[in-house]
Amino acid sequence: MRRTRESSDGPIEIDRLIHEPARLLIVAHLYVIESADYVFLMQRAGLTWGNLSSHLTKLEGAGYVELIKEFVERKPHTMVRLTDEGRGAFDAYRRQMKALFEDLPVEGGD
Amino acid sequence: MTPRTLLRDIERKAWLQTFEHGLWDIAIGLLWLSIGVSILTGYVWMTPIWVAVALPSLQQSMRRLIVPRIGHVAFRKRRQRSTARITAILTVTALLGVVFFFLTSWSTQANAPRAILWLRSHMLAVIALIWGGALAIAGWAADFPRLFLYGAVLFGVLLGADLGLPYDMGESLLGVGALITAVGLILLLRFHRRYPAHEQEEDADA
Repeated sequence: MRRTRESSDGPIEIDRLIHEPARLLIVAHLYVIESADYVFLMQRAGLTWGNLSSHLTKLEGAGYVELIKEFVERKPHTMVRLTDEGRGAFDAYRRQMKALFEDLPVEGGD
Repeated sequence: MTPRTLLRDIERKAWLQTFEHGLWDIAIGLLWLSIGVSILTGYVWMTPIWVAVALPSLQQSMRRLIVPRIGHVAFRKRRQRSTARITAILTVTALLGVVFFFLTSWSTQANAPRAILWLRSHMLAVIALIWGGALAIAGWAADFPRLFLYGAVLFGVLLGADLGLPYDMGESLLGVGALITAVGLILLLRFHRRYPAHEQEEDADA
């Protein structure tokens, strides 16, 4: 499981599966909606079919998303949904990134 | 921009994309057009028939023209409720306005209550308020900003007719309906240029 965790003496561990920019966009979109198909995610994340498919395979392998296969007018159609585990992982990732940036000292621009 | 605002922005952009195609504008524009034509010609039955034909046609057009281009998305319950609200508000108020118009037009009793007589003398202002207000409420309920503009135009044009400008209610609705339909058609053309159609490649996600 690639959960984000913070150790008291070691470096902060970021969930790299979510941290990758394209996957971050995919997960962020799935976090705020109920479910979407490949075309929607391609449009919103600016990915090709192959790229999207590869990222979704990784997210599905980690249990973060589930692919719901259905038939619409006798044609196969796949909807993608964030699982509870994926939602929890994204919440943890948000907290981690927020803490990381809030801890940074504010420097005046030069 | 905070993470929460950014997520809200992502959701709102995805939501607003579902109105970019102009089909809702065409449906609303044609609805006012049909009411305008039914008033001008006296064929009252045109509007209910239009509503009965338009809703399934709109659903089919979405499936054939829009979904292959921007895909299918199911929004969370809050948004799903607002889509149902916008359809219900627009349909009910359009029909209420038509019923109100014909009831007051056909009422010939000279000894009718004063309130009815007053409503009759300001019928267009009342309808302007009902329909303009309904569009504004629907715009707020569905987070669909163009509806505010359409509500304001409809309200202004009908109020103008009530205040004695040289056009009647049928002509007002015909004009506003044609304008909204034209906006919808322009949006639809722009949408088609911006988003190419995609087919679901099911083997790719295996």
